[in-house]
Amino acid sequence: MSPFLAAVLKICLAALLGSGIMCLYRMCIGPKVADRAIAFDTLAMIFICAICVLCIQWNSVLYFDAVWILMLVGFLGSASIAKYLERGRIF
Amino acid sequence: MPTLSELLVAVLLLLGTFLIVLTGIGLVRFPDVFCRMHAAGKAGTLGVILVVLGTVVQFAGTENDLWVRGLLAVAFQLLTAPASTHLLARAAYVCDYPLAQRTAVDELKGYLPSRPDQVFNQE
Repeated sequence: MSPFLAAVLKICLAALLGSGIMCLYRMCIGPKVADRAIAFDTLAMIFICAICVLCIQWNSVLYFDAVWILMLVGFLGSASIAKYLERGRIF
Repeated sequence: MPTLSELLVAVLLLLGTFLIVLTGIGLVRFPDVFCRMHAAGKAGTLGVILVVLGTVVQFAGTENDLWVRGLLAVAFQLLTAPASTHLLARAAYVCDYPLAQRTAVDELKGYLPSRPDQVFNQE
């Protein structure tokens, strides 16, 4: 890997860390449940991006399948929270 | 001197990460829950798609090719992100979450059953 791409990966990881801290801040102070659910959804997206960047950094596609798992967890989490908020039950 | 494919990967990754940072800023700065959903639902989705495409381009041509898995992940994200955002927005509106002070018009007023539930609307 060239030093150019290595520097880009470092910048990306730092920016993702900053965005994740902002999400955690919203998850802590978020006035109600829906704010926290959205922050959780965004945190799953940030983890997906971090996994992609780390795949490039380690030059391995071993962890790329975790992207699928995190997408599924984010979608099912926010969908079930929304249903619980609206009807008071999940199923 | 970076090659062309490295340049493409870097541009995709930096654009996607920039959008993710914008999502974080929007989550912190926007006034009410619907505005925050607007930030997380659009910019976040596009950022994830750009970063996954950058990974796909980086591994294209090597022995562990990611085209199918990467494009399926993009399609799955495009399918699920609007659905989950829509469900959450509907639930928040039905639960009478407060709109921002600057809201000009509430076109859903009277169309959705409002149930400010005493249990689920708490902090």
